[in-house]
Parts: sequence; structure tokens; C-alpha cells
Amino acid sequence: MDDVGAARSEPRPRRPPGPLRLGGREFPPERALVMAIVNRTPDSFYRPGVTWDEDAALERVHAIVAEGADLLDVGGVPAKPGPEVTVTEEIRRIVPFIERVRAAYPDLVISVDTWRHEPARAACEAGADLLNDTWSAWDPKVADVAAEFAVGLVCSHVGVALPRNRPHRAAFADVAADVLDRVLLLAGRALAAGVEADRIVIDPAHDFGKNTWHSLEVTGRLGELTATGWPVLMSASRKDFVGETLGVGVDDRLAGTLAATAVGAWLGARVFRAHDVAATRQALDMVASIKGERPPARATRGLA
Amino acid sequence: MIVRAALCPSPPLLALGVTGQTVVLPELRDACEAAVAWLLAAAPDAVTVIGPATATVAWPPDGVPDLSMHAPALGRPARPPAPAGAGSLNAATALPLSLAIGAHLLNAAGYLGPRVLQSVAESASPDACQDLGRDLAADAPLTALLVIGDGSARRSAAAPGYLDERAEPFDTVVEQAVRDGDLTALAALDPDLARDLLAAGRPAWQVMAGALAATAPVRPRTRILYSDAPFGVAYLVATLNPTP
Repeated sequence: MDDVGAARSEPRPRRPPGPLRLGGREFPPERALVMAIVNRTPDSFYRPGVTWDEDAALERVHAIVAEGADLLDVGGVPAKPGPEVTVTEEIRRIVPFIERVRAAYPDLVISVDTWRHEPARAACEAGADLLNDTWSAWDPKVADVAAEFAVGLVCSHVGVALPRNRPHRAAFADVAADVLDRVLLLAGRALAAGVEADRIVIDPAHDFGKNTWHSLEVTGRLGELTATGWPVLMSASRKDFVGETLGVGVDDRLAGTLAATAVGAWLGARVFRAHDVAATRQALDMVASIKGERPPARATRGLA
Repeated sequence: MIVRAALCPSPPLLALGVTGQTVVLPELRDACEAAVAWLLAAAPDAVTVIGPATATVAWPPDGVPDLSMHAPALGRPARPPAPAGAGSLNAATALPLSLAIGAHLLNAAGYLGPRVLQSVAESASPDACQDLGRDLAADAPLTALLVIGDGSARRSAAAPGYLDERAEPFDTVVEQAVRDGDLTALAALDPDLARDLLAAGRPAWQVMAGALAATAPVRPRTRILYSDAPFGVAYLVATLNPTP
């Protein structure tokens, strides 16, 4: 496990100005993006199994595209502990599906939620554009796959947690600083491995190896991440930190999620991984207009 | 010599405020309060807190428990200014969690007397633990031991360590050993199994076993005040009385 000293001694890479490039798309810096979640699992934490059937999953893709999603995030393994999902099974769950999506939507940016290089490679061969490694480079070869296929890479922070492990008494002297150090370390390694700078995304990874207090702190201090210039992915949708903050179950976390989303957007995060695409798009558009970066859809009141 | 010993767990949620607006597990908090009160009722000359950490270290006795590493919004506690020339405890040398909880429990009980904060390395062998316990017992004053240790964190699918079928039998062995005052059984706990099961208390229990065995030739009389794993982590609260 790398220590903070190692992180501090490596150069902290600066992100050159310019758009975020994923697949064939170029997303300008002011544009906040919605990454729609489609899980190819029977047991993810929210609405488990709803897209386990491949046809149902494809129907969901049609829906999220219609709702304005900019990216699709496909995952075959839940984040929580549970029955082992082998590499072979993970590939079976995601690759044929990615092929079908790519055929139906040649230009949709497809992200794959995986932390292992074999499914990452198979997904890239099937047409994926972004490797969403939420377990903080547990497998360093995922960055090599991203470089080889010239796709994007998410550099995330999980503290001391191992894949599919819950945080047990997670403790940080300064969680936001720990996040910053870790994601910049991984961004530097990605660059060294040959991943293109304008395809790198950083992600504090809410609740991964962090408790509710940590996730709240990271959210409030997201400006420290966005100030680096690297595009920040925020994946807060319906997570337990929202539930514990408000005292609500997973089906009642939309309002809390949108509040956190608005704060993240205000502080400059760029990509928002969401279950509720249309509502997230509206929240992001509202924040963009408040910031003055997006004209209202149609303003006539008091202007006639 | 050791006049009394008490066992308490060290979940961060034991400290008020860490669980936010809801008071969680009041019965656990009450049991720990009762155990510590019993400990202090013997009017010991000193209280030694034993708890697992990364290394075996005697920590500054005035160490202030700081749970802000688990709950940053609660803020760091104000520290009294260090006397000129003295080293001071800063964030880099914050008390390990087990000793922080022990100190917190003593503070909550209003204990102002002398205290020792002794951590034992998570990797310490059973023999090394018992040697440490013997050394602690040999130290002169009438000492009460507050032993901080947790059972397995793998008690259920919802546990932080997920489910390991060996966890409950392991914790049952520990509870039975404490119930029987069976120090030999505690000394015999397998450190590798304990580590696999995320039972962090193993070295602390073995320090206690060494200390109590050195104190009196008979089994201590014990009471179990709490034994459950509501979050998948085994919490055991007990009192152990070595005096015949």
C-alpha cells in the first residue's frame, strides 16, 4: 500500500486546459455530464436485478439516452461483499451487452465499471470508451489497458479498502487531503503508462473505504479536487451516506442525492454517475444556469 | 497487582456524537459505563488501559481521545497548551482507537487519578502478550485493568468484514472463556484465526490473561454485562475479579 510520503514525493500532475475527450466526443469544460448506471448484476444495492435480463438492460439504455444521459456506465459486479464473481462471469455479464449497446448507439460514450484488467480489456475490445475503476488501481494493469486502447480512465480513492470490502472503522487524519494525494498519484501513473491526459477523470469515490462523515466532508471540500483542473466524477447516487445523513432507505434518497449533486456541480465536478437521469440532468442544468454558464430554456416573464 | 479487570469493545460509535442525531446501542453504552464504574469502585491506585494497535507502546497518559479521524465534522478536541520543553500529542500521534475509547470511558466516568495507556501490537504473539501482562501486574500500585478488545467483525453478511462461518464459534469460545475465568483458554486463542476473523481484541485479551494469571492462582470471578454483534462486529463487556 502506498504511503502519503510516496505520494508527496511524486510530481503532482497538472491537467492541461481543454475538453474531456471520451470515445469520439469532446466535452467542453463547462458542460456537466450525466453518467447513467446500468448494472448487469442480480444483486446491486438499488433495484437489484432490474437490468439483469439483457433485453431489460437494453430497454433501460433506450430510456436513459432519451432522458439525456451523456455516458452509460455498465457494471457486472456489485461493490458490496457477496458471492464471488469470477473474471469469466464478469465478462459474460458485460461484454455481449456492450456489443449490443455499441451497435445500437455508435456514438454513446460507454464506461465500464470494473477493477480487473481482463474484463477491462474485453470491454474495450467490445467498444468501451472509459474504464471506471472504483477500487483505486487495485490492479495496476487496468491503466495499461486504458493506454493500449486509448480509452479513458477513472482514478479513484478507497483509503485502505480492498475490492468489495466495506470500510471497517475507516480513519483519516484529513480525508480530503488523502483523496487528493491518492487520485493525483494515480493520474500521474496513468500518464506514465500512456493514458492520454484529456481522457483522465478523478473520483473521490463516495463511501468507498469511507464512512458517512468522510463522504460528507469530501463533498463539502470537492473544490479542492476540482481546483486541480482534472475532471471530477461524482458518484453519490442513492448511496448510504445520503441515507444515513437523512435517515432514509435506498428508495427515498433522490432528494438527498440531488442536493449533494447540486453542491458538487456548484463546486465544479464534471461527471455525475446517477440512477435518476432526468432528475439529475435537471439539477445540473439548474446549477449551470445559476452559475451563468447556461441560458434559461425559455425566459419571457417580465420580458414581454 | 491487579485488583480488578473489565473488558470493553472499541467501536467508534460508542462515543456520543459519532452516530449523529440518533443514540445507537444505549444498552452497550450502559454496560460499558457499569463495567468501568465497577472497576473504579475498588478505588485503585491507578488504571491501566490495554488495547490493540499497530505497535506495543506506552502512550502519554494525558493523551486526549480524538475521534475526528472517524467523524471529521466533530472537530478536533481542544488541547491544553503543552508545558515548555515537553513534547505534545499532535494529530500524527493521536491515540489509537482502542486507547482512545478506553480514555473516553474513563473520562466519562470522571476518573481523574493516575492512568497508563498501553497499546499491544496487533501482531504480538500470545507469549509476548502474556509477558506484557505479567510485567504490568508486577508493577507496584494496586491497578485496575481496562481491557479494550473486539471480537470478530465477520459475524454476518451485513458485517463490515462480511460473513465468515467460523466467526460465531470463535466468539463463543472467547465469551465462554471469560465467563469461566479460563485464562488458559484465552491464552490459547489462535492469533492467525483471530486475525482472519478480524477479532482485534485477541492480543489485549492475552495481555489480560497474563496479568491476571500473575496476580492470583485461582480463576477470576466474572460477569458478562453484554455480548452481542448487532452490526456484525462482536462486542463483549465483562468484569473479572481476581481477588478470592
